[in-house]
Amino acid sequence: MKYIYSIIKADYLQRTRSYAFLVTLAITVYVAYLFVPLPTANYTTLSMPGYKGAFNSAWVGYVSAMMTTIMLSLYGFFLINTGIKKDIDTEVGLIVATTPITNLGYLLSKMLSNFLVLLTILGITFVVSIAMFFVRGSGYPFIIGDFVVPYILFALPSLFFVSAMAIAAEVFLRDKLILQCIAFIFFFGVVIGGTKGLPDSNTTVLMDVFGVKTLTGSIKNQVNTQYHAHIDDISMGFIFSGHKKPYQTFVWNGVAFSNIFLLSRLLWLVCGLAVVYLSSFFFHRFDFKQAVRSKKIKNKETDGQLKEAVVYKEPATISLKALPKLVPDYGIVPFIKTELLLLIRKGSKWLWLVIAGIWVGMIFAPLDIAYGIMLPVIWFLQVTRWSELATKEKTNQLHYFTYSSYKPLQRMLPAQILAGVIVAVVLALPIIVRCGIAQNNYAVFNIINGAIFIVLLAICLGIVSGGKKLYEILFFMITYALVEKLFIADYLGAVPHNSHIMYIAIILGLNTFLAITSFTVRNHQARHL
Amino acid sequence: MSLVIKNLTKQYNKEKTGLSDYSITIEKGILGLLGPNGAGKSTLMKIIATISKPTRGTLFLDGQDIVNNPDYIRRIMGYLPQDFGVYPNLNAYEFLEYIAALKGVGGAGLRKRIDMLLEGVNLTADAKRPIGSYSGGMKQRIGIAQALLNDPKVLIFDEPTVGLDPEERVRFRQLISDLADDCIIILSSHIVSDIETIADEVAIMKNGMLLDKAIQPEIIGHVDGKVFETMLENSDLHAFKAKHLIINTTRQKEKTKVRYITKTPESETASTPVSATLEDAYLFLTHNNA
Repeated sequence: MKYIYSIIKADYLQRTRSYAFLVTLAITVYVAYLFVPLPTANYTTLSMPGYKGAFNSAWVGYVSAMMTTIMLSLYGFFLINTGIKKDIDTEVGLIVATTPITNLGYLLSKMLSNFLVLLTILGITFVVSIAMFFVRGSGYPFIIGDFVVPYILFALPSLFFVSAMAIAAEVFLRDKLILQCIAFIFFFGVVIGGTKGLPDSNTTVLMDVFGVKTLTGSIKNQVNTQYHAHIDDISMGFIFSGHKKPYQTFVWNGVAFSNIFLLSRLLWLVCGLAVVYLSSFFFHRFDFKQAVRSKKIKNKETDGQLKEAVVYKEPATISLKALPKLVPDYGIVPFIKTELLLLIRKGSKWLWLVIAGIWVGMIFAPLDIAYGIMLPVIWFLQVTRWSELATKEKTNQLHYFTYSSYKPLQRMLPAQILAGVIVAVVLALPIIVRCGIAQNNYAVFNIINGAIFIVLLAICLGIVSGGKKLYEILFFMITYALVEKLFIADYLGAVPHNSHIMYIAIILGLNTFLAITSFTVRNHQARHL
Repeated sequence: MSLVIKNLTKQYNKEKTGLSDYSITIEKGILGLLGPNGAGKSTLMKIIATISKPTRGTLFLDGQDIVNNPDYIRRIMGYLPQDFGVYPNLNAYEFLEYIAALKGVGGAGLRKRIDMLLEGVNLTADAKRPIGSYSGGMKQRIGIAQALLNDPKVLIFDEPTVGLDPEERVRFRQLISDLADDCIIILSSHIVSDIETIADEVAIMKNGMLLDKAIQPEIIGHVDGKVFETMLENSDLHAFKAKHLIINTTRQKEKTKVRYITKTPESETASTPVSATLEDAYLFLTHNNA
């Protein structure tokens, strides 16, 4: 048991001692601040038409716990789903594989480390929610139990299970990050959507991993009882009302938990352990990459050896004077070519097939669906490519060459941005052409502006944070919100806006800010290795 | 052509100093850098390669300030870092074309030049394989090829022979010797024999400071007449180590052959004076400046 503790500790420290994690925590504080708006705010996170909860400690505690549970379960997965991959990349896994640690022991320690990372973020939202209660003081008494109980009963089992799911995803889907995303979003959608449609019953409570049904059911009952209303549906998430509508305030004092609900919490903890246990039978123990690589090498080496057997000759000596003369060429075209090559070769071929399918679909689908849903999705499928644009030199330890090259800032960085934008624009071509034919120049401009934004965001976050995760999570959240038609996440003009000029100016302004930040920070990095 | 370094200091933080008031002039030929881990060799090379700025001090290449005008040296520099990497999805041709673009060179001769360099480092047969599938030694060889891509006048090699097999090491040393007539070559290595074989001058560093820089005979002169060999009982070895600087020990059944440095050899042991080597001098200098 002691060695598992040591692994968890090392893994946890390794993950949290990064600038990117610090930025994640800062964002968490801000998001947690937004989780429980005052009734007078122009948005809600828990929406019932015409009703808002009074700002008492039960409302603040439970709603913030539930919002944290849902949001952290969703984006937290993407934060923790590379724990094993990190050991593969750093080759620490090869050392791990030679130690006596069992597959179960290793995966369990990774899962608990995942859980600790999420708990750290959870702890921050917990503290912020209490702080918000006092800051926004509404006159209701502070009851600590209203904060502690929902965080323990809703958040802990859910995040524990999500931590286990991240392990299963890494074991079964290995390094296929996009496939992991799709699988988890599918699971998430099934749990949230599936339990929402089910009737109130013990089975539903047991199946509800995040506990949404129990919480919303209790609130719904309170409103219906207090106002003799017939509220059927409660929506969760950031929902903007645009302008203030009349509402009635109800006082809700928390959930009276049933025994079956408490049992369900225990059940999901056990399920988490079971998922890890099951995964341990299929864990590659770091033989996967080696096996694939050695197989490839074996085949190719056999070919190579056959050729060498025929044509082998003593290697030539190098004389610099005898080498063909080169001419200066300070253009960026070769960089763009290489960047495009790297972007295209990144990821598996099946993903390109999916992308090709969506691309063709964008030609024929109704324009609002193609523009509002398919375009954000096809761009999101490039997330692992774009997130590497400005980080791959460091990841592959090639930055020694790039930073010591001739005018790297004026040539390398623009090439990376251009390559990313070219990919984005090519992927958006069906929409651009359709909007162009319809003489909707505003949309064409917005799409290109959006392409530049999403690529510059990747570059900027990669350079500033030094990692890919921050961009990947943020891009996922932006895409999710955009598909949900949340105007604040609309970076490509897919949602109607009040002022076209203002919207264009905002995106252009953001692009300028991202570009200046990227160039400034990279300029410093290139001379301070 | 000369590289003049004056009073170079690199202070990472209050506790950690990479280089301390370091001055050296490097002319055409091969300068071997020797020093224990943490001596500041890589820091010095990074500063010369313009990827790290000194806290204080100046670097002039042919009168040009390369701290403030790094592009002057970048056009004529070949650099092989200690822990460099590659883009695993590119093959050797694509990778070297990319490096050529980084260095700002191209033209009709580029492909032919890459062919010849790959042949020179014995990678022609593997040139179309993704570099990600290369062994450590093969990666090191492609690193050497990239350093020579742009007609370099300043070559910086940080531990270049790591991962090379003995045959490749010999070939590398030969290659470096051939290049030395036209270039400044700065070479760091933990393998003293690599430096001993090819370096025109040797600089010995420790704790970010230059202990000595001279041609090899002068460096070796520090220990002339002070190196001895003797046979000891294994049981006496421990006590002997406490009194003398041991260079090497070779176990031979119950006895151990010991090579050591001293001003006054042990009278009770039959010590034989032997010819001093660069390794003896290096250990003597770094030990005496502890």
